[in-house]
Amino acid sequence: MSLTSEDGARVAAEPASGPWRAALRKLVQNRTAMAAALVLVLVVLACIAAPLYAKYVAHTDPFGSNLDGQITIGGKSVPVMQPSPTGLGMTPIGPTWRAQYFLGADNQGRDVAARMLYGGRNSLLIATGSTLICLALAGLVGVVAGFSGGIVDTVLARALDVLWAFPVYMLAISLSVVLISHGLKLGPFTLQADSLLIPVIIIGVVYVPYVARPIRGQVISLARSDFVLASRCLGVARRRILLRDIVPNVTTTLIVFAPLMMALNMLTEAALSFLSIGVQPPAASWGTIILDGEGLLYTRPMVALAPGIAIMITVVMLNFLGDGVREAFDPRAKLRVKSDR
Amino acid sequence: MILVMVRRLGEMVFVLVSISVLVFLIFFATPGADPAARLAGRGATPATLAAVRHSFGLDKPLPVQYVLMMKHLFVTQDLTSFVNPGEKVVPAVLQAVPVTLSLVFGAAIIWVIAALVVGVLAAWARDTVLDRLLMLFSLIGVSMPVFWLAEVANLITQARYHDTWLFSWVPALGYVPLSVSVVGWFKSLVIPWTVLAVTYIGLYGRVLRSNLVEAMNEDYIRTARAKGLSERQIILRHALRMSLITLVSMFGLDFGLLAGGGALLIEVVSGLPGVGELTYQALQNLDLPFIMAAVLYGAVFIVVANTVVDMLYAVIDPRAR
Amino acid sequence: MTDRIKTWLLPGILAAGLLPGFARAATPDASFAQHKGGTLKLVAASAAGTIDPQVNYTNQYWQTFINVYDGLVTFRKTSGKASNEIVPDLATAVPAPTDNGLTYVFTLRKGIKFSNGKPVTVADVVASFERIFKVNNPNAGSWYKFIVGGDACMAKPAACTLPKGVIADAASNTITFHLVSPDPEFLDQLAVPFAVILPADTPAKDMGTVPVPGTGPYMITSYNPQKALILKRNPYFKQWSAEAQPNGYVDEIDFDFGVTDENAVTAIENGQYDWEFDPLPADRLGEVSTRFPNQVHIDPLLADYYAPMNVNIPPFNNKDARLAVNYALDRQALVNIFGGRNLATPACQILPPDFPGYKPYCPYTLHPGTTWSAPNMAKAQALMKKSGEIGQKVTVITDDQGVDPALGTYMASLLNKLGFVATTHVLSANIQFNYIQNTKNKVQISVSQWYQDYPAASDFLNVLLTCGAIHPGSDSSINISGYCSKTFDQHVDAVLKTEISDPAKANQEWAAVDREATDAAPWATMFTPKQLDFVSKRVGDFVFSDQFHMLFSKIWVK
Repeated sequence: MSLTSEDGARVAAEPASGPWRAALRKLVQNRTAMAAALVLVLVVLACIAAPLYAKYVAHTDPFGSNLDGQITIGGKSVPVMQPSPTGLGMTPIGPTWRAQYFLGADNQGRDVAARMLYGGRNSLLIATGSTLICLALAGLVGVVAGFSGGIVDTVLARALDVLWAFPVYMLAISLSVVLISHGLKLGPFTLQADSLLIPVIIIGVVYVPYVARPIRGQVISLARSDFVLASRCLGVARRRILLRDIVPNVTTTLIVFAPLMMALNMLTEAALSFLSIGVQPPAASWGTIILDGEGLLYTRPMVALAPGIAIMITVVMLNFLGDGVREAFDPRAKLRVKSDR
Repeated sequence: MILVMVRRLGEMVFVLVSISVLVFLIFFATPGADPAARLAGRGATPATLAAVRHSFGLDKPLPVQYVLMMKHLFVTQDLTSFVNPGEKVVPAVLQAVPVTLSLVFGAAIIWVIAALVVGVLAAWARDTVLDRLLMLFSLIGVSMPVFWLAEVANLITQARYHDTWLFSWVPALGYVPLSVSVVGWFKSLVIPWTVLAVTYIGLYGRVLRSNLVEAMNEDYIRTARAKGLSERQIILRHALRMSLITLVSMFGLDFGLLAGGGALLIEVVSGLPGVGELTYQALQNLDLPFIMAAVLYGAVFIVVANTVVDMLYAVIDPRAR
Repeated sequence: MTDRIKTWLLPGILAAGLLPGFARAATPDASFAQHKGGTLKLVAASAAGTIDPQVNYTNQYWQTFINVYDGLVTFRKTSGKASNEIVPDLATAVPAPTDNGLTYVFTLRKGIKFSNGKPVTVADVVASFERIFKVNNPNAGSWYKFIVGGDACMAKPAACTLPKGVIADAASNTITFHLVSPDPEFLDQLAVPFAVILPADTPAKDMGTVPVPGTGPYMITSYNPQKALILKRNPYFKQWSAEAQPNGYVDEIDFDFGVTDENAVTAIENGQYDWEFDPLPADRLGEVSTRFPNQVHIDPLLADYYAPMNVNIPPFNNKDARLAVNYALDRQALVNIFGGRNLATPACQILPPDFPGYKPYCPYTLHPGTTWSAPNMAKAQALMKKSGEIGQKVTVITDDQGVDPALGTYMASLLNKLGFVATTHVLSANIQFNYIQNTKNKVQISVSQWYQDYPAASDFLNVLLTCGAIHPGSDSSINISGYCSKTFDQHVDAVLKTEISDPAKANQEWAAVDREATDAAPWATMFTPKQLDFVSKRVGDFVFSDQFHMLFSKIWVK
């Protein structure tokens, strides 16, 4: 791949098909980005096909405990949970590398491979949902703060500071406890304890300052730029300036942020799962499967390794795609992916 | 300038007060978090519960409790735990600080040096196989959940390959104070340092490379090239110097976050009793005094780092004021 | 079988009075001198709160306190059934109650000193019992308020005096207790660490991290909840009764905190620690028991793992739904999750095996009778159909410690199989226990455990299942199911009365009450766990008491 920044002049010199289509064309021509996108599509398809895999390949219910199950390997019947000769402790079956229990079983005797596919659905949904929430909120806050200035800006900027330094885990633990018994009613929406929306909202909100700050900076510098000043002098309405000059620029920045935020959110989901916040058993996400595997790390490391590798591959691909999007849409943008905190 | 400083200080205090109030309110809004029942013990009668609540001042109005807690934390510094009554919070945090600082300083040294090497090498060999490989590895480094990587490191160094020559020197998980044994301190931290550094090597390496490559197209580099300087000299003397500004500000923010306890999960998985582990325990115990102390300690680092970086920017780039 | 049970089942009073010869012979002096010395290194994941023995209510510190403090009486420091019997400790003898069970007179031993050098006097005894109320002891209101004056002390703890309840006579060196009503478990309640004797000048507040002087062979010299609890020899200790308070072998006991169960196992294998408090992670059991069979000790626990079902809210206010869960529960699967057939026994009833009043009873199985054999899924499904609760949403609340999340996950899986729509919710262990008790949180079903305080059936049946144990809206409402039946309460009260006059008959009646509670199915009892202690190679003379588990003072490391 090439990260060489190309100056905006070339983009402008493209045939008059609008900057967005030009950017899209540029993205499509980026082979690394397209390869990454392809891998991501395959991951998504595999996760969508989870029920098919569970039913027709693994012949298993990935959410039901299967502690006294038996499977046939090479004509022999083997228990899924293998008792030790001393009658103390049970060891789940390791990777069979066959259709059933391809990656082995977890401590409930469930097929890890099938759970991986189901878990991927939740991980991807959470990463996508929280990214949308984060970008929408951050865009709104950034634009309002940057464009209004004055007291509104001060208040919003301080709120972002508070959120940025606030302990995410505390908020997450508390929210998940509060919601079990009471649920949360926000107008027409009711949030329940087992809802995927909980991790989605927590992760989405937590990273708002991370995106909102650069947006605010961008809006402030746009508002002071020569062409906006010129428009103002010409008496163009503020609303018009906002819609014509500010919003398109901010949208571009948000698009550039999207894949990178998704990557970051996926890592955060895993970290929250480590604290038993988020997806609750018997449902799964890649993060919760890592947690399941933690208790089996020394005997059946595959349970923890597989979801970690899945996260890694997905995040790498998202970053590749993110690089491509950045190059295509906004070569000058200086972005960085932050690790989970 | 003094006015800016005073305003900044005011903002920092505002942020810290807001955070402490929010933590306090969230705590008391959480069902099951009320410490009275846990302090009283299982099966306590309502009368006992009420007496315990009274003796710990938990029956006072929340604003009064908040002010008292802040007074005990900052003025008399004798705030004690809700879970281990009598345990003072401030010394416990101070005791954890050296562990976290050892972890973060060591990792920072590794990641800064390694990232410089990676970034410069990749920029120098840009668009070659070496460049692509370095960037791929950097990306993989950025893309792993840190706590997962720490677990994998445990698996390899503590169990699977612990008996081989490669890792037989690795001590059991835990922290050895520098004052007890320098060698032991080093050995106990090498693995966590490396694990923590991996992400940041990838991150900084990538940023450094792209900054360098960008700088190479700037006019002053073209001038330097025209003067006949070698590519190596150009990168090291001219391009690197400009690129480091970005890195320094990044480093400020990351260091602040980590030193404030942001390396929470890696401390937990590696068995290091630092501020992050203390925060984790406090959250697991829902021990409000400890949560408050740890959170404010961490927030101070984050807020100060933010302020310092902002002010550095203001010095470098007057437009940002 | 029945015979042996009957003998030891007699509550402490009689057993101790009639069977003094039951104790083990004291350790021979030669062996003592040979193994004396060294440091015992214990480890736990975290500290367990205050070290005030009259406040702390955790197994972790009770196990420690018994080496530091003494009450007037105690449970015999030995292994097996004999460890459930009460023997005199600071008192010279275990008195029989007089005045229709309302009065107990103890004579204090002479010449015993606290670790600060001061002698133990009758005034210390009076002060210690007043202090129980002054420091808001968790069971002050349920156990000790039956001492005359206890009610007034509950109302105003700070000003507590017991002039008519606990009367000291310095001249005869006796202490007389007067009770409001006869209490068959009074001596048991004196034998637990809450009722230890502390110096009269001990401040009347929770001492937190400050050690209080005691009379045992060790004294606490330092306590840092982030680091360690250190016990050293009490210089004033002279052994007065080997069965009540034996001298310790090791010179020092270091109880370190902050090492996870997983890492502790490895450290014990490598000889860096001698013993860990926390249960071993289930996935290491096989490895440990095959590689180090001689260092593994398995002993029965007087405890239940159970799933309390809330009988006051849907769907478990429907008895058929509760029965369905009980019939469907594959208790062997739960045993396997917990650690295998040798680490737990499937159970259906409330009282654990070998407990006073225990008579094996299991209606919820394929062949109802005395023991559990297999789940009866057909019957469970029929009951579900009858109940009309199919399709109801259920949340199983479990904590995040050890095997509990796995047990919760299994429960959710089972409930789904029965036709509920179930999920698990994992909470931090520090919240979960209080959370599931509070009626405001509307918990439907949860995973919980109960460990006995002392060997008496009422400690399960009376404490956990009577109407009086429900406190709506409180985080401390130990009847988690909210099961309240007037007739059941009457039966419990009747047996408590019988117990005073005829303990043997009372145990027969307890068995009936146990059956009654089991049939009402407020719980799905899972299994009775066993304790697995994994000690280092150098540990000698492992002694396991039913009451206090591994006895630190009996262990030698040299």
